[in-house]
Amino acid sequence: MFLKQYISDVYQGVKSLLRGMRRTGYYFTHHKEIITQEYPDNRDTLVLAERFRGEVVMPHDENNEHACTGCTACELACPNATIKIVTRFDVTPEGKKKKAIDTFVYHLELCTMCNLCVEACPTSAIKMAPTFEHSVTDRSKLIKKLNRPGSKIREGVE
Amino acid sequence: MLSLEHITNAVHQWLYGNLSEGWALFAEFVIIGVLAISLFSILGLVLIMMERKVSAYMQVRIGPNRVGKKGMLQTVADTLKLIVKEGLTPDGADKFLFNLAPFVVMVVAMVILAPIAFAKGFQIWDVNIGVLFVTAVSSVSVIGILMAGWASNNKYSLLGAMRSGAQIVSYELSAGLSILCIVVLTGSLRITDIIAAQENGWWLFKGHIPVIIAFVIFLIAVTAETNRAPFDLAEAESELTAGFHTEYSGMKFALFFLAEYVNVFIVCAIGATLFLGGWMPLHIGHWQGFNHVMDYIPSSVWFLGKTFFLIFVIMWFRWTFPRLRIDQLLNLEWKYLLPISMINLLLVTVIAIAGWHF
Amino acid sequence: MTGSQIIFYVLSAAILGLAVLSVTTRKIFRAAIWLLFTLVGIAGLYFWMDVAFIAAVQIIVYVGGIVVLIIFSIFLTQQSGQEMPAPPLLRKVAAVLAAVSGLTLSALLLNRHSFTPADADFDAGPERIGMQMLETGAGGFALPFEAVSILLLAAMIGCIVIAMKTKPAAI
Repeated sequence: MFLKQYISDVYQGVKSLLRGMRRTGYYFTHHKEIITQEYPDNRDTLVLAERFRGEVVMPHDENNEHACTGCTACELACPNATIKIVTRFDVTPEGKKKKAIDTFVYHLELCTMCNLCVEACPTSAIKMAPTFEHSVTDRSKLIKKLNRPGSKIREGVE
Repeated sequence: MLSLEHITNAVHQWLYGNLSEGWALFAEFVIIGVLAISLFSILGLVLIMMERKVSAYMQVRIGPNRVGKKGMLQTVADTLKLIVKEGLTPDGADKFLFNLAPFVVMVVAMVILAPIAFAKGFQIWDVNIGVLFVTAVSSVSVIGILMAGWASNNKYSLLGAMRSGAQIVSYELSAGLSILCIVVLTGSLRITDIIAAQENGWWLFKGHIPVIIAFVIFLIAVTAETNRAPFDLAEAESELTAGFHTEYSGMKFALFFLAEYVNVFIVCAIGATLFLGGWMPLHIGHWQGFNHVMDYIPSSVWFLGKTFFLIFVIMWFRWTFPRLRIDQLLNLEWKYLLPISMINLLLVTVIAIAGWHF
Repeated sequence: MTGSQIIFYVLSAAILGLAVLSVTTRKIFRAAIWLLFTLVGIAGLYFWMDVAFIAAVQIIVYVGGIVVLIIFSIFLTQQSGQEMPAPPLLRKVAAVLAAVSGLTLSALLLNRHSFTPADADFDAGPERIGMQMLETGAGGFALPFEAVSILLLAAMIGCIVIAMKTKPAAI
């Protein structure tokens, strides 16, 4: 009984080791599996993963319109005060006052790319962009204004 | 055809023809020393490059690819860096032993080189106890490691040295027993005889399953003896911060690093000699035509090819398996490898006496 | 003086010098290392005598086995890194006296026998040693060989018994 257990132990051990070696052997002979990106050389053809989070951006459409209502949900959701929203009140043609954003300030130097602001946004006005070349020579350049000058909220977004 | 055997014979005759006997011997020693040192430095460059590339491909990476064509000069650049670095000696270290240790490790590696046959008739010293000499001298290399660990005055180094000592002393047994299998089959300890016995086929193919088991055990045991992963507890980067060479830097570190690779080369050369026929080309029984074709490939190419194949297998081990714990390591040796190799040795003896091998 | 003689004297001087160093040093680990080099030197002497098998056994047993064991026991000892205090003068004198008397005793014993040099084709290859080991006739070593192997077997079984964990009593 003991001998049987012993032999089966040896057999199982050798088998599992060979399985591991087959995997690495496969990788050794199949160079197309290599996932390393030779970065500065392939800068033009670089494809980053869909879920890569590089910075927060606010997409604008061709009419220079965005979807941000200025609700400050993202500002509240941010754990380290990266987002600062300055709101103003626009007067609609009907004479009602409507809240809108004046400036959407985004501190890239404080951001941890946690994605909480994007999840908190009720209108999907902001998203994470796959950019990563963020180095600048001055810290103040990292403070970004996300809404473009002259942009306004898209019709129908509440 | 120009072979290494002819070159050595010509040099030998020229030296003995033009110089007195003592001076000719001295000149041969000098030539051998220069050749050994240059072999070591080339081996260091080639094997480290090979290890880095092999590891990269096995881990789905590219590896060094900037210095020189395809990164081939990376190790040269690294060596230059190590040469210009300062060799620190820690305060409170036993300075004499601390500086002696890397040289002990290196000299031992150099001495083991003596009985290895690199090609047909290209051997430094055809001693009548060839493989016993190798096992004997390789047991001295543990002293260098223990010395380094002690003299560093560092608890990590001491722990690494202790582990390394326990490991080398215990795995020497099963390596020795699997070497003994081939010695039993050949009936000689001399390396030339062992190679000559494999003229009609390598022992791995001639000796049935017991020799294959001995070969596997030999590979495992020498991986442990050279302190390489998965048996690299002695230098375990993640727990002992490099173990016995924590305190070493610059060229002294480089000597330890080089000695590791040279030892890998030597044990693989021994494995190739014992199980894969050394420089003997692949011969199959009495197929004269096939054997003649194989004879056209130079013997040094056969030897280096086999050795580098085994080195590749050992690298393959390193980049596949996770490190063992110390109790698992000792269990593997004392509960599995040693009993199996003892029974295996008995089987091989029966085969050798009954003449069942081909 | 031939080259062979020069090698002999260099080796002997090295062995003696290292042996003296090994007993006079005050660091225990260094003493072990000097002892190691002494034993390697003796192995070198065997190589010089062309008895390579004995030399290899000397290295395996003494250098690879005993000195490693000594070093291990030093590692496991407390405060072994410190320098030992210098011994008192009386002990030094006694030690020198003991060494000198031991040397004279062995020199006297050796001088009573005349040694004849071995003939040139002196064969000490492993085959010859192995045959002599298992020779049952005159000059054979079969009986001592077997006695030693039984002794070692007994020692090994004793080690296993001591090292074996006692299982808890069966229920």
